[in-house]
Amino acid sequence: MRTTLCALLVGLLPALAVSPVFAKPVGELKTPSQRYASADTTEEVSFRRHVIPLFSRAGCSGRECHGAFAGQGGFSLSLFGYDFDKDHKEIVADEADGIRVELDSPTDSLILLKPTMQERHKGKERIKLGSWEYNLVLKWIKDGAKIDVKETGAFGRLEILPKEIVFSKANQEVQLKVLCHWEDGTVEDVTQLTRFRTNDESVAEVSDTGVVKSLSGGDTHIVAFYDNGVQPIPVMLPVSEKVGDRFPKITTNTKIDELVVNKLRKVGIIPSELCTDLEFLRRVTLDMTGTLPSPEEVKAFQANPSANKRTAKIEELLERDTYAAWWATKLNDFTGNNAQQIGDRYYRNEQSRQWYDWVRARIAKNEPYDKMVAGIVLATSRQGNQSYLDYARQMSTYYKKSNPRDFSKRETMPHYWSRRNIRKPEEKALSFAHAFLGVQIQCAQCHKHPFDQWTQQDFNQFQAFFTGIQYGNRTDIKEDVNYRTMSAQIEKDIGYDRKKTESRRKLQNEIKKRVSMGRPVPWQELYVRKTAARKPNNRKKKTNTGSSRVLTPKILGGDEVHLTEYPDPRAPLMEWMRSKENPYFARAFVNRVWANYFGRGIVEPADDMNLANPPSNGELLDYLADGFVENGYDMKWLHKTIASSDTYQRSWRPNDTNKLDEKNFSKMKLRRLPAEVVADAINMAVAGEKRVEKFVEDMEERMIGPMLTGGNNGRANYALSLFGKPVRLTNCDCERTSDPTLLQTLYTRNDYDMLGKIDSNSGKSMSWIGELRKQTAPDRKLVSKFASIASLKKRVKQFETRQAGYQRTRDKVKSEQQKKRYGQQVKSMQKQIDRTQKQINDLEKERRAHAEANKLDTDDLIEQTFLRTVSRPPTKNELTMAREDIAGAKTQLDGVRDLLWAMLNTKEFIINH
Amino acid sequence: MANHMFCDGVARRDFLKVGALAGAGFSLADYMALAHAGELKDNAKGKAAIFVRLAGGPSHMDTFDLKPNAPDTHRGEFKEIKTNVPGVRFSEHLPKLAKCADKFAILRGVSHTLAAHALGTTYLATGNRPLPSIQFPSYGSVVSKLKEAPKDIPPYVSIPRDINNTTGFLGLEYGPFETGGSPRANRRMDVRGLTLRGITLEDVERRQNMLQRYDNAFASLGSSDQTVAGMDKFSQRAYDMIRSNRTRDAFDLTKESAAITRNFDDQSFSQSCLLATRLVEAGSKFVTIQLGGWDTHNDNWNRLKTRNLPALDAGLAGLFNTLEDKGLLGSTTVFVTGEFGRTPKINQRTGRDHYPRAMFCLLAGGGIQGGQVVGESDAKGEGPKDRKITPDDVAATFYHTLGINHRQEFHTPTGRPVMITRYGNVIRELV
Repeated sequence: MRTTLCALLVGLLPALAVSPVFAKPVGELKTPSQRYASADTTEEVSFRRHVIPLFSRAGCSGRECHGAFAGQGGFSLSLFGYDFDKDHKEIVADEADGIRVELDSPTDSLILLKPTMQERHKGKERIKLGSWEYNLVLKWIKDGAKIDVKETGAFGRLEILPKEIVFSKANQEVQLKVLCHWEDGTVEDVTQLTRFRTNDESVAEVSDTGVVKSLSGGDTHIVAFYDNGVQPIPVMLPVSEKVGDRFPKITTNTKIDELVVNKLRKVGIIPSELCTDLEFLRRVTLDMTGTLPSPEEVKAFQANPSANKRTAKIEELLERDTYAAWWATKLNDFTGNNAQQIGDRYYRNEQSRQWYDWVRARIAKNEPYDKMVAGIVLATSRQGNQSYLDYARQMSTYYKKSNPRDFSKRETMPHYWSRRNIRKPEEKALSFAHAFLGVQIQCAQCHKHPFDQWTQQDFNQFQAFFTGIQYGNRTDIKEDVNYRTMSAQIEKDIGYDRKKTESRRKLQNEIKKRVSMGRPVPWQELYVRKTAARKPNNRKKKTNTGSSRVLTPKILGGDEVHLTEYPDPRAPLMEWMRSKENPYFARAFVNRVWANYFGRGIVEPADDMNLANPPSNGELLDYLADGFVENGYDMKWLHKTIASSDTYQRSWRPNDTNKLDEKNFSKMKLRRLPAEVVADAINMAVAGEKRVEKFVEDMEERMIGPMLTGGNNGRANYALSLFGKPVRLTNCDCERTSDPTLLQTLYTRNDYDMLGKIDSNSGKSMSWIGELRKQTAPDRKLVSKFASIASLKKRVKQFETRQAGYQRTRDKVKSEQQKKRYGQQVKSMQKQIDRTQKQINDLEKERRAHAEANKLDTDDLIEQTFLRTVSRPPTKNELTMAREDIAGAKTQLDGVRDLLWAMLNTKEFIINH
Repeated sequence: MANHMFCDGVARRDFLKVGALAGAGFSLADYMALAHAGELKDNAKGKAAIFVRLAGGPSHMDTFDLKPNAPDTHRGEFKEIKTNVPGVRFSEHLPKLAKCADKFAILRGVSHTLAAHALGTTYLATGNRPLPSIQFPSYGSVVSKLKEAPKDIPPYVSIPRDINNTTGFLGLEYGPFETGGSPRANRRMDVRGLTLRGITLEDVERRQNMLQRYDNAFASLGSSDQTVAGMDKFSQRAYDMIRSNRTRDAFDLTKESAAITRNFDDQSFSQSCLLATRLVEAGSKFVTIQLGGWDTHNDNWNRLKTRNLPALDAGLAGLFNTLEDKGLLGSTTVFVTGEFGRTPKINQRTGRDHYPRAMFCLLAGGGIQGGQVVGESDAKGEGPKDRKITPDDVAATFYHTLGINHRQEFHTPTGRPVMITRYGNVIRELV
């Protein structure tokens, strides 16, 4: 069945790429089950090529079994089986727990008795007695249970056959074949020694033995793991009939569209229509500048008849301060700008701000991305050949009170490296790989990376680049004036006593005072320790666990580097990143920018590029990364190219073929606005007219701007942390989250912060509703005039009481004369009442007339409310509904306020669509 | 496949998918892990928990671990008093607690090495020594992830807020409601997001009605889009919660009976304790309360006897007695702790400094055997006498009373499997 299906697929589907090797009679490569079918096999067994992969696939070296850090039952294997020396020792030479092989009597070896359950084994039966697996291990023991010579281990590459699988219906099966090409020229069929994984178990599943089965429409990858090879192959089952020639003709205006549609054609997904102009305006303004379009902008864009207006808008947006502000924030996320971690004791918050401003200035002038990154990567505190004193003097000028020097004009920005949470070289390596390469290598810190080629050795060699990068008080060169002498001087000047708290405060004040005057103080510094000092120091050397070995730095997936050629070990790293073949640097950035516009990277998660996590559209990522490099790392080119594509401008409305598509960019994904953007959007939607204008000009007011994690607790941060502003402490883009939560909903529904904003009627936070209330309220004279209505009404009541009194007396008294007198009193009271009542009526009439005359145009208010929140005018139906809602409210403006509240709470407001 | 499930790492994308599917908080991966380990326990006594944080690091030597025989350089000026449990003695300034010492257990000689406030606090609030590479979730986040509260009741409440709280790798969804302020005696309490301030219930209903009519841009998607479906779910739940009489009443201290109110004094800590009992009664799963001012580097005894100890005494005694009176003590675990103890040796400013090597914790309710002292510090209170209890052990025990296996694994967003508290062991005498 399987073979016929394969033949069928090969015959029917041109998309099924078949390698030349596959065309050769496969029989020439024997499988392990054939090679080790008999206990008397003469086939050679290699520890690395066969024994360890077998244990790995049987689950022995898994995390919950012997791969656990403490091992299991006294037997410990390296997790994901890659530390061959250690594993070999553990099996053949573990004196403490007993040696697990018996060379004299191989079948009595523990390593065979346990997994076959001949002896009690908590991990149950993993290998059947007499099976080829059993024979394989047995033969290895018979041959002396040896570890391999070095050459045996040189891994070349994996080859999976077929290279791609296109299914035609559900429940079809294809057997994969995995060939390992070793460096020594041998090719082995290792299918039975390989572990497999599906990247999407709703599309296809894969068995232990490498049989792939289609489940439902879509596309994914099956990944094969063997030795140091991690090899994915694309697998798909078209979701509709409309594949290849049957796919409708879709005009592709840009290269992006062409590459996206090429993929869609294969999977049978038809893309959504283009979005409307106003959907586009709102979407792109939010994505590119983190800001809502203003009501005026919406109206102008709608009225603009130009066919080219979308492109023109993109170009306009890229010139705005908001673009630079928002993308500086994003880059600060990736690089981890957290004020509390910055090395300087007294100027943390200022330096965090400098970091932000430095990046923002570069984005604003569109400095090439590689140049900006080099300014961070290669930073040192001193510039050129500065002496310590010159450095200290210059530093203070950045912070002095009058006319401070502009930090963002500095060529390099050292604060990235000064952070206290990346003091150790391994921490620097992790941060670096995440920030600039989009790679998560922390797994390899302790064991072989489960989803990539990185070994612990790779990690250790990579971290070796960072051992000389130091922040603090420089001691590796001799200078007459240095940190220590300057500290001693200033301490002497103030009579410092380190034991006294007051004294410490005094020192801080003195330093701040001198800095504010631009005088030099002892600043710590970021520097590269001189190579001489990097020689192992015998006196200090501790005998800890072998990690003090001097390691040759090695670029990830690249060559070893001899640092003697470079005064700064980071220089070869930067060179490597800038080289054309670099697989990470440009792609990491391109992918992150893409993820910003689509809510999903071409590689997803966007900061987790690894072999087992291939891009959903490799050609697309290649095209953008290559284009980015060819255009001189031009960030604006990248933004413009992405935003100008039809792919970005598609509607979120799905059709039958793409409603389940998540990774092929056939429609726009609905995404909750990022934390800062939500907070700003709320502030802008409720703001008074003048403040709305300020929103695009004054970045100090903006959450997308320099509002950093340091220093500003308080109300604003409540919303920001609620909506997932990253704290920038761990190396993961996932710190920023766009998941909705209950607390967020409670915030927008009912938090006093939120409700207060909508109705604020004073000062800086004056709201639109507040302004309107002021505007429509009568002036002060009229107010006091109308206020008299109340006192007049009171007077009427008094008259009425008195009148009632006279009436009662009149009824009681006997004499006619008296009756008459009181009768007159009653009448005269009535006159007073009538006169006052008339006054009241006149005033009330005047007040009504005034209110009527000052009444705002309801339709206009409704339109404003919609433009402010969902950036479009109301539909007919909504307009009718809103008119009724407002008419039914206590006052017109109360009605508008409720409408504004409702619109701020719609999903349409908080979701970018 | 079987091998993959059994032994291999779970990929980040697998995690995300399972997490997203499950939505309600308990992901499939969690369930599998639990089911696999046979750890789905429903017979635990603790159904909810109250965590009392004594911010600043209370002096063990002057509260629950006095050393009347230590030299003058260490001893301190307070005397011990007898309690209602024979043999259990503690500070004379805790007379109310002395009358209900049978309701709680004292842990002495709890020990760690982190002498900075932030680090110590994180350690004691998560049961994990802080690591730079990973943010552990606080107890409240774990409990509110694993235990479901009624729909209209906030599952996890911090009174008034908990700056050091972190949801860690569990994500924002498991963060606390912060009341923002402390309750006052015989008042209704304002809670941000829940309290109606300047609007009435009718306003809420009218607005909700409006919102439903305007919020239909994505109606055509039904529940097929996760973001839309998630927001709709939370929208309904927020509305339920805002309207809920149970929630409003829980925050309304005027609704409490005189018999119960009498258990407390009028100070904010006491009233917070009262509120915590009301929240648990209503169905909340986790409540944190704070009492600060323990960082007594100087003037230790004066500050303790005039301010901190009377407040602590009234509040905690009220808490234990009230839980008992309401029949909730058996099902509510109370955990009282600072971030460290204080130096046994008295400093020159008649104070004590940070000292993590010996501290105390209190545990009560939820099946904890009260009226006992577990662990012991040495003669001068400078460290555990022989058996060292770690914050991890206390955490493991705390989780145990709530039916949560402290070795259960969660996956971080990067796919790394992490146990709730890897190094802790349940303290058997307590449970």
